[in-house]
Amino acid sequence: MTDVNEQLAEISPLNGLHGEEGAAGGRRLLAAARTFAHNRLGLAGVLIVLLMIGFCFIGPLIYHTNQVYTNLNQVHLAPSLAHPLGTDPLGYDELGRLMVGGRASLEVALAASVIATGFGALWGAISGYIGGLADTVMMRAVDAMLSVPPLLIVLFLATIYRPNVPVLIIVVALVAWLIPSRLVRGEALRLRTLEYVQAVRVIGGSHWRAISRHVLPNSIGTMAVNVTFQVADAILLVAAMGYLGLGIPAPGTDWGSMLSSGIDYIYSGYWWLIYPPGIAIVVTVVAFNFIGDALRDAFEVRLRER
Amino acid sequence: MLRYSARRTAHAVVVLFGVSVIVFIMLHLLPGSPARALLGPRATPAKVAAFNQQYGYNKPLFIQYFTWLWQMLQGNLGFSVKLNENVTTAIASRLPGTALLVGLANLFAFVIAVPVGLMQAARRNRFFDYVATGLAFVFYSMPAFWLGLLLVILFSEQLHLLPPIVPQASFGQLLTHPGDIALPVITLTLITTALFSRYMRSSALENLPLDYVRTARAKGMGGQQVLWRHVLRNAAGPLITLVGLTLPVVVSGAILVESIFNYPGMGLLFWNAAQSEDYPTILGVTLVVGVATVVGSFIADVLYAIVDPRVRLS
Amino acid sequence: MKTEHRAGRVMAGCLAIAASLVLAACTTSSATSAGTSTRSGAIVRGGTAVFAESAGAPPNYIFPLDALQYFNTSDINQFQFLMWRPLYWFGNGTNIVLNTRLSMANPPTYSQHDQVVTITLKHWAWSDGKPVTVRDLLFWLNLLRANREDWGEYVPGYFPDDVTKVTTSGAYSLTLHLSTSVNPTWFTFNELSQLEPIPQHAWDKTSASGAVGNFDQAAAGARAVYKFLNSQSLDLATYASNPLWQVVDGPWRLSQFSADGYAVFVPNKNYSGPVKAHLAKFVEQPFTSESAEYSDLRSGALTYGYIPVTDIAQRSAIAASGYTVNPWYLWSMNIIPVNLHNPTAGPIFSQAYIRQAMQRMINEPQYVKAILSGYGILDYGPVPNGPPNRYIAPQVMAHPLAYDPKAANALLTQHGWTMGSNGTRVCTQPGSASNDCGPSIARGAPLAFNLLYSSGSVAVDAEMRAFKSALAGAGITLNLSQAPAGTVYGTAVTCSASQASCKWEMAYWGNGWEFSPDNYPSGEVAFSTGAVGNFGSYSNRQMDQLVNETTTTSGLSAFFRWEQYTAQQVPMLFMPLMPYQVSAISASLHGTVPQPADGLSLTPESWYFTR
Repeated sequence: MTDVNEQLAEISPLNGLHGEEGAAGGRRLLAAARTFAHNRLGLAGVLIVLLMIGFCFIGPLIYHTNQVYTNLNQVHLAPSLAHPLGTDPLGYDELGRLMVGGRASLEVALAASVIATGFGALWGAISGYIGGLADTVMMRAVDAMLSVPPLLIVLFLATIYRPNVPVLIIVVALVAWLIPSRLVRGEALRLRTLEYVQAVRVIGGSHWRAISRHVLPNSIGTMAVNVTFQVADAILLVAAMGYLGLGIPAPGTDWGSMLSSGIDYIYSGYWWLIYPPGIAIVVTVVAFNFIGDALRDAFEVRLRER
Repeated sequence: MLRYSARRTAHAVVVLFGVSVIVFIMLHLLPGSPARALLGPRATPAKVAAFNQQYGYNKPLFIQYFTWLWQMLQGNLGFSVKLNENVTTAIASRLPGTALLVGLANLFAFVIAVPVGLMQAARRNRFFDYVATGLAFVFYSMPAFWLGLLLVILFSEQLHLLPPIVPQASFGQLLTHPGDIALPVITLTLITTALFSRYMRSSALENLPLDYVRTARAKGMGGQQVLWRHVLRNAAGPLITLVGLTLPVVVSGAILVESIFNYPGMGLLFWNAAQSEDYPTILGVTLVVGVATVVGSFIADVLYAIVDPRVRLS
Repeated sequence: MKTEHRAGRVMAGCLAIAASLVLAACTTSSATSAGTSTRSGAIVRGGTAVFAESAGAPPNYIFPLDALQYFNTSDINQFQFLMWRPLYWFGNGTNIVLNTRLSMANPPTYSQHDQVVTITLKHWAWSDGKPVTVRDLLFWLNLLRANREDWGEYVPGYFPDDVTKVTTSGAYSLTLHLSTSVNPTWFTFNELSQLEPIPQHAWDKTSASGAVGNFDQAAAGARAVYKFLNSQSLDLATYASNPLWQVVDGPWRLSQFSADGYAVFVPNKNYSGPVKAHLAKFVEQPFTSESAEYSDLRSGALTYGYIPVTDIAQRSAIAASGYTVNPWYLWSMNIIPVNLHNPTAGPIFSQAYIRQAMQRMINEPQYVKAILSGYGILDYGPVPNGPPNRYIAPQVMAHPLAYDPKAANALLTQHGWTMGSNGTRVCTQPGSASNDCGPSIARGAPLAFNLLYSSGSVAVDAEMRAFKSALAGAGITLNLSQAPAGTVYGTAVTCSASQASCKWEMAYWGNGWEFSPDNYPSGEVAFSTGAVGNFGSYSNRQMDQLVNETTTTSGLSAFFRWEQYTAQQVPMLFMPLMPYQVSAISASLHGTVPQPADGLSLTPESWYFTR
């Protein structure tokens, strides 16, 4: 689910002005960081994310479980001291499974969001800066892709290219780069009319210099906010794919696949297969949304003060 | 107004072409030749040759695209061997279901989000604002299937009020048995409301009431009047655009909701097709949904312009 | 940040987490409530029975001469057979026999050293009153001959290729002259089982408005008739209204049908068979998923449904709510074909000890217990241990290659396979001697194989993952991938090493190889050289010889000899049988059990309600 706020921000008549550049940009980042530090929920979000990353990546080093070989002698065991979250239909320890699943979900979400925002920003910056026919074509392509619900494209690609972590990253990034491109393009449109950008051309600088030195750095705020929301949305998208059976293949797993498998047994009362992955997804997504909100407030406040 | 509509129409037409190109690319991403993928592994060479002839697959890519596009425009979306049905017929029978689901969800979300958002603006920082914001956060961060699952457990398992899935039904039966479709509609509505609420929280709309409130009160209007007459009118515009813009996302959500609840719509059709590698249906649904989304956006844009004249001039 | 929002955000945060947890915590799953109690009583005439179709496999083809892409046993057995009966009916409960009572013809008589078969039709009638005669059988045969490439059952060299001449005597007697002598049991069970009379007086036309004629008697006409009937069959919306499909000889006719597979049958008043329907209506309900079906079952909307594998733990709750739980096993074997013609893996698979070692790593009893929740039948050879039948050899029933990791490892070590550093065995003794790896196997070749299995089944997925785990214990690495069942069938095909289609190594679809309509489980369908079901291209002279004996000599001793050899050779790996479904039948509906082992056939005319 894409963040509509960004889409609307660019057309809303009350858009704030972004007028900074160069050294002042550094000061701005510092001030934004300070504002962020005062946002309790944003900090809570950061804490939760760090804890989750620790749980998924460092957890397996501390809490050893076998996540490769099946053990049909201990299927569907309820939580106990030996298995704090019970075992799943193939005998795997569920707590260990949660760590493995989280690792895959987070890896895909983080990598895909960074790639998508980077590529999208570049696309948007070039499009907005150049303007004219190139801009029209590039943005209509984005519009066309935005018109097709992302889940359709993602499912289609997943049926052709059997998923693993790298494939999932590419597939998710393919639908995620569209929004950042629209946002950054909006920025670029505004910026290229400003005098100091035009001045770059006058003193002999290339278009590329203008883009890389002025357009992109001024979009850092927007991009930072966007990356965070993209991660939140990517986790949901990966979970949806896993739920529909197109997630990480065995013996790996992701939270969505775990939830899908758990739901098969909903009537049998194996609650430990259902609630842990579901709550893990919700908590992580909420945390990223907190961070995103806090970042947006931090950058917006700075800008509004100008 | 006319100029604006003309511009938006041109924009929509170009985007429609873009959607068709996307689907055409998808067609060519399929493993093997398009004919083999669409006719299935048991097609005879004679059938493959006939198919290639009809769709021009033995010609240059450019000509292929227009031949294929011409077939699509005539309504020939292909034949699904898995379903033993024309894709067009299959989609036509499922389209009303999804339209109903998405339409109701958008409608209810609109009806809930607008007053709630205005109340939030009016009763800022009081208890109501906190609760509404909190709930929006909850629902926004949940995967659709998780929310659906919890609702099923609550309303179906525990309270025995509603059926956990939609019984096999035709569209007519859906309309006459509202209880059957209650859970999928509720699930999608909650998600869509959360989506709308997120926008309502952003500064754009929050400022809007303040400015108008100040001006209107300066003119001597009462509180309620201000809220409902000025603020509502001005909030409606962006919200209409919001509906248009969120259409792809809501349809994505509808796909998930339909597969959880076995709701007989296009999402379920697509999902079953994806599971059985029924490519003609997959591509047909993608095209139809893409077109519907563009048209929906276009209508939303035009409505927005009617409601808010400023947009036409920008 | 605006102070007025901070408190709001904190509240939002707490609410977000808390609400989610509260909502989750106050919901727990509960068992179904106890339902009605039943007591046996008088037979009730009438009533409607609602039957759950197999999830995701609704009937979508009505013309009973099914082309390959429509060849779907549930469509044939649970839809077409209700309206048009095959000439011979097989199965009597779980007994695999020729059912003379329900057949439309008397048992066939063989003569001239079993090279001539005479069939005498009983005097049955079509629903419009016209008699079923040999002309209808000839109509079928003519259409078949002219369109054999389009027929799903066609195997070159077998029916109808093995029929040299057909003669009739009167309206009810038909004689087939065959190209060679045959084993009568085999020919009756596997070839004659495929005959199906169709109404020539109503269907022998080439267009909807055209007149009925004898078009089928010329090849071109037969093709035109087939094309017409096939096109009519593509129009799902008209199945119930098209007058063509109302001419039936079975106990039921279609009164309602919709494209998603929903079908309503009413009794055919003119059915000539011995069992007349008691029900007033028989409804088939389609489902797109098992969970959708299970949901309906729990709400009591189904008379004859099934419990999905993942919910079998709930069987006592379902039984308590007024259902009889009864697993429905089909007469079949469950196999994992291995491709002996694959360029790299083929030479390895060609070694019997390799196949035996892999078979020894399949712990069938454990799979049945942990994955199938007890609903499974052990199968170690071409004939499974159940349903009870006369074809299971005592030696095979004793599980010759049961789970034994030590024996498996020993077999591999003895033949020069040494454990590598990454857990995969490699060949350290190439060659053709008795303790070498085997011919055409290079030094350092690893025991690593790809296995493609069908998606969408929790049990199949669990079995394959457990199998992969188990094989790792013998130093064999299995790389798993999934695809829809149709793709798996299309991938595991017989091929020669140079073809592109020979890249597959192992495959598994979970529902095995059904002995239907070839009900005599002889090896010519799957194990002799070039057999249609011999996916892995296994070829062995001794096997061919033993198979030949089973189709040409009568009696069971030849059969047992072949069976033992196959169980010991494991040309394909064997897996426990899974039930077709674990049925849940309303306690007030009778006449349903035992469920027919021979094919998926439904005979709702023998069902009845009691008060």
